[in-house]
Amino acid sequence: MNPTQVPNSFTELNLADEKIKIEVNDLKLYYGESQALKTVNMHIPEKRVTAFIGPSGCGKSTLLRCFNRMNDLVDSCRIEGQIIMDGQNIYDRSVDVAELRRQVGMVFQKPNPFPKTIYENVAYGLRLQGVKDRRILDEVVETSLKGAALWNEVKDRLHDNAFGLSGGQQQRLVIARAIAIEPDVLLLDEPASALDPISTLKIEELICELKDRYTIVIVTHNMQQAARVSDYTAFMYMGNLVEFDATNKMFTNPSQQQTEDYITGRFG
Amino acid sequence: MQQTFETPATPRRSLLPNGEKRARLRRWRKVKDKLSQYGIAFAGISVVAAFATIFVYLFSEVGPIFSSASLEPEKQYASQSETPLLTNLERYSEVGMTLDAKGKLHFFSAADGNTIKDVNLAIPADRKIVSLAKGEPRSGIFALGLDNGQVLVAKHEYNLSYPDGKRQVLPMVTYPLGQEPLQLDAQQRPIQALAVQEGSTGTAIAVLTDDGRLSFNLFETETNLMTGESTFNRSEFALKDGPKTATHMLIDTTLHSLFIAEGNEKVHYFDIRSPGDARYVEAVNAVAAGQQVRQMEFLVGAVSLVIGGSDGSLGQWFLVRDEHNNFHLKHIRDFDKHPAAITQIEPEYSRKGFMAIDEQGHVGIHYGTSARTLLLEPMPGDIKPQRLAISPINTALLAFTQDGQVHRYTLENAHPDVSWKAMWNEVWYEGREHPDYIWQASSGSDEFEAKMSLVPLALGTLKAAVFAMMFATPLAVMSALYTAYFMTPKLRGKVKPTIEIMAALPTVILGFLAGLWLAPFIENYLSAVFAILVLLPVMMLIAAYLWRFVPEETRLRIGTGWEVAILIPVVIGFILLCVELSPLVDDTFFNGSLRQWLTDNGYSYDQRNALVVGIAMGFAVIPNIYSIAEDAVFNVPRHLTQGSLALGATPWQTMVGVVLPTASPGIFAAVMVGFGRAVGETMIVLMATGNSPVVNFNLFEGMRTLSANIAVELPETAVGSTHFRVLFLAALVLFVFTFIFNTLAEVIRQRLRQRFSNL
Repeated sequence: MNPTQVPNSFTELNLADEKIKIEVNDLKLYYGESQALKTVNMHIPEKRVTAFIGPSGCGKSTLLRCFNRMNDLVDSCRIEGQIIMDGQNIYDRSVDVAELRRQVGMVFQKPNPFPKTIYENVAYGLRLQGVKDRRILDEVVETSLKGAALWNEVKDRLHDNAFGLSGGQQQRLVIARAIAIEPDVLLLDEPASALDPISTLKIEELICELKDRYTIVIVTHNMQQAARVSDYTAFMYMGNLVEFDATNKMFTNPSQQQTEDYITGRFG
Repeated sequence: MQQTFETPATPRRSLLPNGEKRARLRRWRKVKDKLSQYGIAFAGISVVAAFATIFVYLFSEVGPIFSSASLEPEKQYASQSETPLLTNLERYSEVGMTLDAKGKLHFFSAADGNTIKDVNLAIPADRKIVSLAKGEPRSGIFALGLDNGQVLVAKHEYNLSYPDGKRQVLPMVTYPLGQEPLQLDAQQRPIQALAVQEGSTGTAIAVLTDDGRLSFNLFETETNLMTGESTFNRSEFALKDGPKTATHMLIDTTLHSLFIAEGNEKVHYFDIRSPGDARYVEAVNAVAAGQQVRQMEFLVGAVSLVIGGSDGSLGQWFLVRDEHNNFHLKHIRDFDKHPAAITQIEPEYSRKGFMAIDEQGHVGIHYGTSARTLLLEPMPGDIKPQRLAISPINTALLAFTQDGQVHRYTLENAHPDVSWKAMWNEVWYEGREHPDYIWQASSGSDEFEAKMSLVPLALGTLKAAVFAMMFATPLAVMSALYTAYFMTPKLRGKVKPTIEIMAALPTVILGFLAGLWLAPFIENYLSAVFAILVLLPVMMLIAAYLWRFVPEETRLRIGTGWEVAILIPVVIGFILLCVELSPLVDDTFFNGSLRQWLTDNGYSYDQRNALVVGIAMGFAVIPNIYSIAEDAVFNVPRHLTQGSLALGATPWQTMVGVVLPTASPGIFAAVMVGFGRAVGETMIVLMATGNSPVVNFNLFEGMRTLSANIAVELPETAVGSTHFRVLFLAALVLFVFTFIFNTLAEVIRQRLRQRFSNL
């Protein structure tokens, strides 16, 4: 298969009913000399769950990290094109990266609580925003932990070290930490891949609960997971966006041969 | 397991070696396993054993200074003179001496009591000896007061010769003031008490007649250049205001003071510096009220008085200068009390110790400086000694009993002069105005009181380390944070090895530079040094602020993480500017020299001071701290920093909120390792501190550290001496210091490892 023949834009998907949160226009990304993303165009609808699937190294995580400019941390990374969020190109010079990252929260593959207490983990983002009032902190910590469906499990040990939690709890704590600063968008980078099935299930339930309030973009290797939690699915392959469509359609009747091959397990 | 697995017959031909070959290989592997297992165990145990041996050696060298004294009866023989007035044992413990009431000096072999020589002093036949005085024991001088106002002065001396290569000690008696008694009291009254001493101006004799007249006689010797004959020039001075009775009188070797024990609890002090107008200064109560002073002797050097009371008390007294430059007799310390009245105090010849016996026959071995009582028990062998004679080198003693026997003892008392308490507390040394911490372990003279307080050395060590850390910690930790977290990897790859290679710089070179270049430089450009230390960080901030106004193109070309390179010319330029401006600043604000200005304002300034050491040793410990701290910061997991950044934290917020707390145990361990290194560092402090053992934390004064002290003094001390052993103790203390800091660092590092194991 010759990847250069893969089309990059879609006319099939009708997003007329949806409000668009993020608009990706001709995005190209290079790591040094090698091009990791090849002219990606896509629209991500607001308050929906969008899943990115594709084989390892296809650029789905890289694309995800473009939405909160985490790729800036990589020295050799260079970007062309635009990502427009709420009418503003996030790669514009005038954009405050820290503020952008507050609006676009992110949860990583491996749970990464800070070596602090559960309470301080959740309060960390608020403290960054200059919140010092104890009552406000208490309230936000509680609502965030409730929002991440963790409150009942940890309410009696808020001031214990976060490392005492199980992997699944840690991941939900990280989600609580992310939603504590009231982002618009939540980026989930394979949030359940390091977890056992029960924890995975809880995370998936949580995603379904959260999508009423946040625009969620999730990268996953697990196609059943994508099918279960997402409204829209994008299939990427070798830096190209191969197909982007409603999840139901993607998994029942993909319009691209490559997508069907991947979903049915013929390669990948 | 000895099982072998035969390859099952398969259609495919196996490419593995056959079963026999593999069995051989397994055996060989087993041999290698065993060999390495035992080899490694042996090596490990050897290391531990070597370490333990060092410890055992250190402790075995240090141990004896805390042991007490012991007396072993050796032999016994009959004495030729009952109730001797004066007894002595000579340097080689070969010749003993007694003086009886008839004025006969009897020298005998200390080994078996055989007579060597008898000398009859020229006492007129019808006269009685009514009083006796001893001078400085090493001079052997003594004086006898007769009942007609006459005094006879004699000396017992020992000549050494080596006929046939064998040592022979020949006792002899000399008469410094003539063989005949001197008529010191014109009224021919009996001499109640007297004192004799040889000083630099002549021989002094103080006499008190039984009717209470006190006089001071100075015999100046004049030698005729032509004939070689000596004549004496006697000057007599009557002393007023003194006591009418006396039991003991003592003159010190400088002939400046006269002490008189009245017979009750009082001891009187005369200032006889200029005998013409000798001054009665004071009387002190030397023993408890109602008790009497029974014995009074000088310790070696004739500065300290040891006063024994009828209640068995023993106290040390000496003259202390007050704020008006007048001397007063002060009570310094007490020794363990004997159960009965003191009958004799016998000072040691070469150190500030003495032995005492009491009426019940207890013997006490005491030491002045360390305030130790090394032995206090009934005389071994169940005897009641009447008098003691001790060997000048403290190896033997003779005890004379009432029943006319001489008992010879061997004495083991090697290190009475230090105690744990005296090494760590203030001690009132002879001639000092108050108790103090002093390290001054040796001097040319026997009379010298060794001052071995470890406090100045321990504090000096901490002082040097603290100032070095004040310089090194901020620099090392900040640069570690910057290189690990902000610097571009390319530059980090160059900077880190460069700083780490600084650790390979021989400290002798750093010390040499510090002592010979930096110390004079700081002295001359003190204001510049302060300006650099204080203003350089401010300057860097200003430079960083101005960096914002550099055109963006230029900034982008240099790139993030490379900004630090721009700082190099700023730092160098600022340092040069400070040095250039320093004379101007000094002229304008400090009358030409900041160093002089400090001295004028009451801050003493040594050229080699804590500032120099702080900077020089700071440079030596920076690589250690930097290297460990940098690793700690760099090893903070990426996903933590990314997690923080993804929450909308700026890099600085991430640094403070996540990186620093996570790396803090490592940074702390780094600082501790640096501190341990600074504590043990020798060459730099040796060359740049001035090595004066002062007790202060003044930035502009030097210090002497434990390590430098050992380096300086160990080559010059006698092996096995107290000084030698105290230096080993100093080494142990140093070891304890570094051990504490390194253990603390290691414990924290272990905890850090545990903490990150579940990240």
